Amino acid sequence: MLENSIFAILSLFLIGGALMVLLSREIVLNAFGFLIAMLAMAGLFALLENSFLFLAQIMISAGAVVVLSLIAVTTINLKRDNLPEEPNKIRWIVISALIVSPISLLIYKTLTMVNRKFQETVDGYGTLKVIGGELFSSWVLPFEILSVLLLAAMLAAIVIARKESEI
Amino acid sequence: MTLAAIIIAIVSFALGALLALLMIPVLVWLERRGAGLIQDRLGPNRTNVGGFRFGGVVQSFADVVKLVLKEEYYPSHIKDHRWLFILAPMITFVAALLAFMVIPFADNIVIAGESLKIQALPVEYGVLWYLAIGAVGVIGIFFGGWLSHNKYSLLGASRAGSMMISYELPLGLSVLAFVITYNSIDFNAMVAWQSGTVLGFLPAWGIVVQPLGAIILIIALFAETNRAPFSVSEGESEIVAGYMTEYTAMKFAMYFMGEYVAMNTASAVIITMVFGGYQLPWVSTEMLIENFRYFAWAIMVVMPVVVYFVIEWMYKNNAVRPTVISDGSREFEAKVLSIVMVVMTLVVEVILVYLSSAQDAVLGTSIAVMLLQIVVFVVKLMIFNLFFILVRWTLPRFRYDQVQDLGWRYLLPLSLVNLFITAIVVVGVS
Repeated sequence: MLENSIFAILSLFLIGGALMVLLSREIVLNAFGFLIAMLAMAGLFALLENSFLFLAQIMISAGAVVVLSLIAVTTINLKRDNLPEEPNKIRWIVISALIVSPISLLIYKTLTMVNRKFQETVDGYGTLKVIGGELFSSWVLPFEILSVLLLAAMLAAIVIARKESEI
Repeated sequence: MTLAAIIIAIVSFALGALLALLMIPVLVWLERRGAGLIQDRLGPNRTNVGGFRFGGVVQSFADVVKLVLKEEYYPSHIKDHRWLFILAPMITFVAALLAFMVIPFADNIVIAGESLKIQALPVEYGVLWYLAIGAVGVIGIFFGGWLSHNKYSLLGASRAGSMMISYELPLGLSVLAFVITYNSIDFNAMVAWQSGTVLGFLPAWGIVVQPLGAIILIIALFAETNRAPFSVSEGESEIVAGYMTEYTAMKFAMYFMGEYVAMNTASAVIITMVFGGYQLPWVSTEMLIENFRYFAWAIMVVMPVVVYFVIEWMYKNNAVRPTVISDGSREFEAKVLSIVMVVMTLVVEVILVYLSSAQDAVLGTSIAVMLLQIVVFVVKLMIFNLFFILVRWTLPRFRYDQVQDLGWRYLLPLSLVNLFITAIVVVGVS
């Protein structure tokens, strides 16, 4: 019961924050909604006793991604007047939500059907040690490929950001 | 949950909250007295309640009263989102407070076969928690500076944010090297690892095992607390007061207190990861419990001597100048404090005599060991807070480009090299 009510409150915050990002025309509120959504997501992970994902979510999404996007916003000095005019924003959001709804239904059906086919989790499955062990034993190839991809992205960003004369 | 577990949980939570919150006035006072010491003056030392000055620490409580009673002033250009403007300092303060809650104050106490953690939040991922919650604190600074709608605040906020991003990397990498060395992310296990010796005679503290990593960790934590010499985000000579230019009264006090809580937390993390935490050098908890009799005798001999010198020092210094007519209140304060100290010493002596003579006082011994470790922790914490204060009043503030230079050009490569060497050595040894 308690778990369900905490889940409901966290989901409300998550959806509310996400809607705030989408709908509000105030950049401050967008940023705050982003933060709220990320922290609520971390709370959902904590509810699943997945300590590693909980802390990684706070550290990376709330700590780094939100701060970096805030730095970007303040650096380009984004003002309300600089935003594009969107006269039919609400209408477009409703129409696109209607278009996407069958896919959401499909995802919902799939998830509710499949969830009994997975293995039951054991105690302490979400700790750093277990996840690290899994990552470096059964999933080591995808992990390395991902790190090469990230390295390539970082190099590309550095090359783009470099001054013209140095190339 | 047994009764003992509940009592220990409540006691350690209260201890964490007290150590974090009651330390604020003490640190504010220490900062001002430390500044006075370095600038060759006295600092606040006269405020008193009924003649009791406690060296001037009462001044901090007077400051609190002033800040609470001050007018809540809002600049006229802050019209919308005032709630977020008020919320911003609270985010910083609460994040700093929560980050302190995972520090172990003593080793796990074993009561009736049950091992209980002496942490306000008894979690096993202390380092990750500190890194995660510590990163949230800067968001409060950012919102505050942004919502002030003023260029200086905005500059201060973006400086704080970019400095946090650039020092998070060396901090994370040096913490990673420590995690590889200690083979744990639990603060308590880290302290347990550090209670041994290396090379037979040195205590196995982080600063001995990982000198480079320890220095990087300390520098990065200095930057993380936004204190001088890394206080570019509130550089008075360039950008008025940075992100807190428009803040007054309790809203300003929230930022102000958050800074001290963050400093206290940083000292606690430094001593836990690098300086052996609550442990005396060379002495592990098992050794302490097994040979408690000898430690008790040592304390019984040392404590009266220390108290005697403290009282002597107090009588010498707690006096007005000879040319000024005294009203007797200082003598009265010194007398009362020395009586309190003597009574406390006697009580401790009696308890120690009982414990060292009793045969099977297992529970009493482990509680006494816990108290001893808490005392060691607080002493180390105060020493490191003093170090923070001395550094602030000794070094000049870095320029913004120097801060970024230090972070990216020196600390990041050094911490990467340190991580590689640590990994190679650890894999080679095992």
